[in-house]
Amino acid sequence: MPIKTLEIIRKRLEERPAELQTARQNGQKVVGWVGYNVPEEIIHALGFIPVRIAVGGDDRLVEVGARYASSKTCVFIREIVGAFAENQDPYIQQTDLLAFDATCLQNYRAAEVIEYFFKKDVVVLAVPRNFDWDEAKKYFAHEANEFTRLLEERAGAPLDSARLAESVALYNDIRETLKSIYTFQASRDNVISWEEVYDLIQAGELLDKKEYLSLLQQTLAELKELQPNPVIEADDGDSRLFISGSLIPRGDRKLIGIIKSVGGRIVGDDLWSGILPHLDLDIKEISPAGVALAYLNRTPHAALPYLDLESDRRLKKLHELLSTSKAQGVIYHTLRYCDPFTFKAKETKNVLAKSGIPLLEIHTEYAGSDYEAMKTRVEAFVEMIRIKAEFVEEEALLANA
Amino acid sequence: MSLSRNFFAGVDVGSLAAKAVILEDGKIYATGLVPSGVNSVESGLTALNLALGSAGLKKEDLKYIVGTGYGRVSAPYANKAVTEITCHAKGANYLHPTVRTIIDMGGQDCKAIRIDQDGAVVDFAMNDKCAAGTGRFLEVMAGVFNVKLDDLGAIALSATDTVPMSSTCTVFAESETISLVARGEKPENILNGIHHSIANRIAGLFSRVGIESDVFFSGGVAKNSGMKTAIEQALKVTIVKPEIDPQLIGALGAAVIARNFAKKEGLWV
Amino acid sequence: MGKQLFRYSEANKEKFLESDNITFNDGSVVTPEEIWHYLTVEGPEKYPGTFEINLYQGNRASRDETLPTSLKTHYLGLTFSERMERAKDKGKSIAFIQGGQAVDPYTAADTIALRPFLVGQWYHGREHGNDINKSVLRRKQSKEKAFHDMSFEACQTGGYEHIQSGNLRVDVVAPYTVLRCSDVSYGVEAHRHGPNKEVKLFNVDYPLRYQASKPWAVEYFAQNLRRLVKTLDEVSGRKTTEDDLLKAIKLHNEGRRLGTELAELWWSADIPPTNSDDRLSLVSLANLDMHGDVQASLSVLKEARNIIAERVKNGVKGHAVTDNPKRIFILGSCVGINDSRSEDAGAIVVGKDDQWSHCSSLVEEEGDPFYNLAKATLEYPYEQSIEKRAEWTIEQIKKSRADGVIFIHNWGCNTQAAVARPILDVIKRETGIPTYIQERDLHGLQHEQEQNRVNAFIEML
Ligand code: SF4
Ligand code: SF4
Repeated sequence: MPIKTLEIIRKRLEERPAELQTARQNGQKVVGWVGYNVPEEIIHALGFIPVRIAVGGDDRLVEVGARYASSKTCVFIREIVGAFAENQDPYIQQTDLLAFDATCLQNYRAAEVIEYFFKKDVVVLAVPRNFDWDEAKKYFAHEANEFTRLLEERAGAPLDSARLAESVALYNDIRETLKSIYTFQASRDNVISWEEVYDLIQAGELLDKKEYLSLLQQTLAELKELQPNPVIEADDGDSRLFISGSLIPRGDRKLIGIIKSVGGRIVGDDLWSGILPHLDLDIKEISPAGVALAYLNRTPHAALPYLDLESDRRLKKLHELLSTSKAQGVIYHTLRYCDPFTFKAKETKNVLAKSGIPLLEIHTEYAGSDYEAMKTRVEAFVEMIRIKAEFVEEEALLANA
Repeated sequence: MSLSRNFFAGVDVGSLAAKAVILEDGKIYATGLVPSGVNSVESGLTALNLALGSAGLKKEDLKYIVGTGYGRVSAPYANKAVTEITCHAKGANYLHPTVRTIIDMGGQDCKAIRIDQDGAVVDFAMNDKCAAGTGRFLEVMAGVFNVKLDDLGAIALSATDTVPMSSTCTVFAESETISLVARGEKPENILNGIHHSIANRIAGLFSRVGIESDVFFSGGVAKNSGMKTAIEQALKVTIVKPEIDPQLIGALGAAVIARNFAKKEGLWV
Repeated sequence: MGKQLFRYSEANKEKFLESDNITFNDGSVVTPEEIWHYLTVEGPEKYPGTFEINLYQGNRASRDETLPTSLKTHYLGLTFSERMERAKDKGKSIAFIQGGQAVDPYTAADTIALRPFLVGQWYHGREHGNDINKSVLRRKQSKEKAFHDMSFEACQTGGYEHIQSGNLRVDVVAPYTVLRCSDVSYGVEAHRHGPNKEVKLFNVDYPLRYQASKPWAVEYFAQNLRRLVKTLDEVSGRKTTEDDLLKAIKLHNEGRRLGTELAELWWSADIPPTNSDDRLSLVSLANLDMHGDVQASLSVLKEARNIIAERVKNGVKGHAVTDNPKRIFILGSCVGINDSRSEDAGAIVVGKDDQWSHCSSLVEEEGDPFYNLAKATLEYPYEQSIEKRAEWTIEQIKKSRADGVIFIHNWGCNTQAAVARPILDVIKRETGIPTYIQERDLHGLQHEQEQNRVNAFIEML
């Protein structure tokens, strides 16, 4: 049974660019943000409208971006640069200023290139790589204040602590509701699919936050009605897959489509365009530094080096999510020239192999040319997981026949 | 043909050749192999008909057909489609139950497959969007030296030196080869270098999935003796001597799987 | 194809024997006599490949034999591997670092700092008797495996293959993760899954986005440097003091000063006093890290400075330099163009930004040495914004009187590739000098196509 609120959200998304335009005419400013540790609450509390710039899946824009940022930049960033060059994306068109962070070197470089070629006003938040050190936290707190100062300048007003508290409360509610909804997709007899939840998460990158929260609550209410008791457990014949690796932004549905087309079922992810950034965000102090540090204290993004394998919080989180979602295999998606994730593919595979979880690496870009090759791999992977369960029995039958 | 006999077929349409294998109960009954044309459905059918013809069978005699290879999706003659990775695993296991690792080098890609004692895939890796280590690459090189594809390996084996090839990208390698020739390097030494650089690539591929004996070498390139030797050196293994044309393994595996499906669906009398 | 080998000619021997000794860190000395013997007898036997004439590999048919320091850098290169083995036998610590950074804190902590190139040199020097083909094949084999262990899109595997499975006795991987090289920065982490569990890992976190003017960022980097020294001390068991660092800074400042003098002398001459290759090998001594021995580098650098001054005074032209060559400035990552072939085409390389930015940044000697070093490092011109980096580059281009600029980067060098075009844009806008971007085919060794393009660019000039 379709979830009615999802329909409403789709419609609201269509109306959103025009709405932003009206808001800007009324004097509001839109901040486009790109990155992995941009403390959105600060932007929100300053009265800006935050939208996440995350185009994807358009090979032509990638080509355009390469003219400015070279063909060696990750496809995701190349497409963003290309989108700025063409200025056709309805959200990019509506941005008054940009906020980037330096979590990933490429992300950070993009800020420079966009600033240089397209004369955009860009504010950058530095992110320490030795993020676990006390010295690094102190440094990051300074950076968060500086970031806030630069935004305040552009907002023409100082950050009000009561408003920041409101924004934090609002975002906390959003995160909590998302988490509850997320459980439903992985459940047996799920009434909402992972794909639907994924789209829902990404809708939040664009919609007005208050409205988004109420839409989420409405969705949750519908889900509870349809499925009062969601239980996460494996279904016969399912091959339950988990997606990890480089982000999969709004426009890119190639891999997700392929998985579906060969009969795989996605039941979880730890993508930075999915549920992960919404997990474990615990704001202890209402201040720019308090918010920013809470961001940094989540599961660290792959671009931040973790020098000890044993205590790696990323891998711990991955294991935890795999076990709650009862996934049987991981599809590790790496985008061309996305070093943070590509460098870890083999290692992640080896680590998971110890727990008996197979991993398939899919290295791809936005061109359609590798569609068939990708499909073969994914299909074989799904077959492999199924055969593990079914074919072995069949063989036994045959042997006895 | 008597209806009480159980025939199953596997059809593997690759980028260079289409292959068919007909299995009767426990043994290979007939095979067919033709170069692939533009139309993958037709190529598959031609290979299948060739096998049927040589066995004196009709398509109706087949209980179940499984299609595999790049042409699998559009194979109307097949009851089911299965990827060539699963098929290679089954095929190699059927012929040589002790095989645990398969190197498949076909026309347009190269695969490293690890299997268990039942012929189920445990892990696999494929080269990425790059012709290196494929039939196509060697074909281009044969063109550069104006020799037959089948002779490449033997020529490489006669080398006295190994000229390092810097590129494994077909386009670059072609121009590099031409400049190496212009510099006076001997063709056999260059070819030896080419075979080594491909073998190295493949050794790298295996660093992702690991390697365990016995090792089976399948696909069209498996007939190239120079490649076989270079791989044995690079991987420090001995490759199993195949009982049938190594190009047919995928189709054979498909036929074995066809038999399994037939059994499952109760079509096997 | 018969292999032609280069040999130093006896005709220059007498002159060479009059040149200076090389003095090493441990106080030992090698005389020109001993160097000559090594270069003519021992070296060719151990490393025939480096004497093989092969233009494509950058091995010239003839060399500047009347430039004694050229022979000495050759000697230091050839003996590198054995010297590292000896240093380890004596209990010295060795750290892996990144190109484009100074090594003052490592020197202070009595640790040899090796950039990726040197780690490779150490590894490959351990096998003797290889011709060029064999050593290239060997290199390719170990690289291929490292790519699989890390990423195919890495151009720099950070010495991973050698440190992890090549049994090289590197004690600690501790580079500055400066912006110039994204791959080393991601590569440090990769070491954690390698088989070598002995090697310590440390990340000297270079704060990003031109932070030299932010006191808290300088302070943070200074803390990184303090922790670095502590980590190096944990490895070596010694206790490095602030005073040790100050001494190291002074020593390295001397190297940087001498290097700058040498470069400026070279630039001041109407006729290039050396060829491109010799210029680079002498100028890059300024960082004193090039040969794994700070004192040895310094002693050759001192001698080189004097020789260049002499040559400039007498209007001596460098070996194999054409008349009125087109002067090219190279920008980009850690690669360069094929010097000898470009010279044959009528050009000369007069500068290279990645070998220069950190060498030309002096460190303040008064006050907290950690803070001073941090500040100087954050001010590296190469690490600045597009406009600022371009501005500094333009200054260098003017000083070196370059006629053209080539931005060359390795395949897979994300962070340098990304700014190639905007930086050249600014340079073109401000100077009108022709510019051109070249991407190095990663595993490429012959570079036929690349040379064609470079030659076309030179012809255009
Ligand atoms: S993490 Fe990967 S996809 Fe994201 S900006 Fe960095 S390189 Fe690009
Ligand atoms: S080319 Fe770039 S990424 Fe590669 S090692 Fe050099 S600086 Fe690093």
